[in-house]
Amino acid sequence: MLPFVFSQGLPFLESDRAVSEERITLNPQLAWREIEGRVVVISPEDSVVHELNETASFIWKHADRGCSVSEIANLLSMEFRVEATQAKSDTEELLRMLLRKGLVTD
Amino acid sequence: MDASRADDRSFRRCVGWRPKGFGVYFGEQLNVSIGNVPLCLHIPEEELREKARLRYAQFLEDVPGGLPVFTNRSEPNSEHASGASANGQESAYTWQNAALRLSDAQVEFDGVRHEYGLDSLIRILLSVLLTRQRGFLLHAATVVNKGRAYIFAGRSGTGKSTVASLSPKDSVLTDEISLLKFVDDAWHAFGTPFWGEFRAKGANVHVPVAGVYFLSQASEDRVESLSARESLRAMLPNVLFFSREHEMTESLLSLASEFLGSLPCYRLFFRKDCRFWKVIAP
Repeated sequence: MLPFVFSQGLPFLESDRAVSEERITLNPQLAWREIEGRVVVISPEDSVVHELNETASFIWKHADRGCSVSEIANLLSMEFRVEATQAKSDTEELLRMLLRKGLVTD
Repeated sequence: MDASRADDRSFRRCVGWRPKGFGVYFGEQLNVSIGNVPLCLHIPEEELREKARLRYAQFLEDVPGGLPVFTNRSEPNSEHASGASANGQESAYTWQNAALRLSDAQVEFDGVRHEYGLDSLIRILLSVLLTRQRGFLLHAATVVNKGRAYIFAGRSGTGKSTVASLSPKDSVLTDEISLLKFVDDAWHAFGTPFWGEFRAKGANVHVPVAGVYFLSQASEDRVESLSARESLRAMLPNVLFFSREHEMTESLLSLASEFLGSLPCYRLFFRKDCRFWKVIAP
């Protein structure tokens, strides 16, 4: 049996990879579902299960709808009532982490 | 012998009837059906075939259309590797020194040296085939109470065999790996030949599922209702799933969500005695 590992919440990881301002592409190999408002993602390549927290789920769902980083940051700012610069910074940081984990593609 | 019994024997010859557990192997072929998935095992080695016949005695069944499974026709390509790959219409899985190649028409098991290796490859094969039939394998003991199946899920050491040993012997459908499948508009637990410490040999029957209990040993007996997300989090690590294919993973996630969404799921905190049944089925 292959191991399933949950990422509880989303700890920010250091990364120097730039996140594109273009639209985000979710890794098409992934299987995911929204369950009780949270996104659960299975990566078939390594059989890891990722359970996203509330804000990460929000970002994920809008990325799936084809929104760009800036659009997602604006929506995040309105939804969670945070400063636009903070929302953009958090969105980019999250996307860098998703890139590192292979959940989104360049 | 009277006429009616003679007629009965003629009838049996006509329809190919054979006593269950005896007449369903021909030469090197062994016909088994696990979870209503028929397989025609072709095992040229007599010793391995005999061990398989004994191991799957309760599951020998002459079902038409069984998927041909050929063992040891060639050597596996890679050694000491475990994993899965897909190439066009064929999927490949490796387990220790053995390999499984699956196409639509047949399956090949290579490098099978003993019945345990055969068992492992059959489990991998079933995990693939069941996904296409609204079913899956789960690390869980299944105990039948009043005609309904109670699923006790957990990894090794969480108490599956303990639960089995604390339940009436004839009520244990499996103590290690449960086969769950949607049939007749409901989820059913099927007996499997994949036993653990309890050595339940499994019965080739299926029973509607009453509920799913994720095991936690504790100093008291109680159950906690789990949300869909909590249930999924508890269940996925216990699903036997080997594929790296996107489509299969999608199917598994759908099945798991469907399964958990239609059944009550609990965390069962229990002591190592039979009193836990009082909080499950008082």
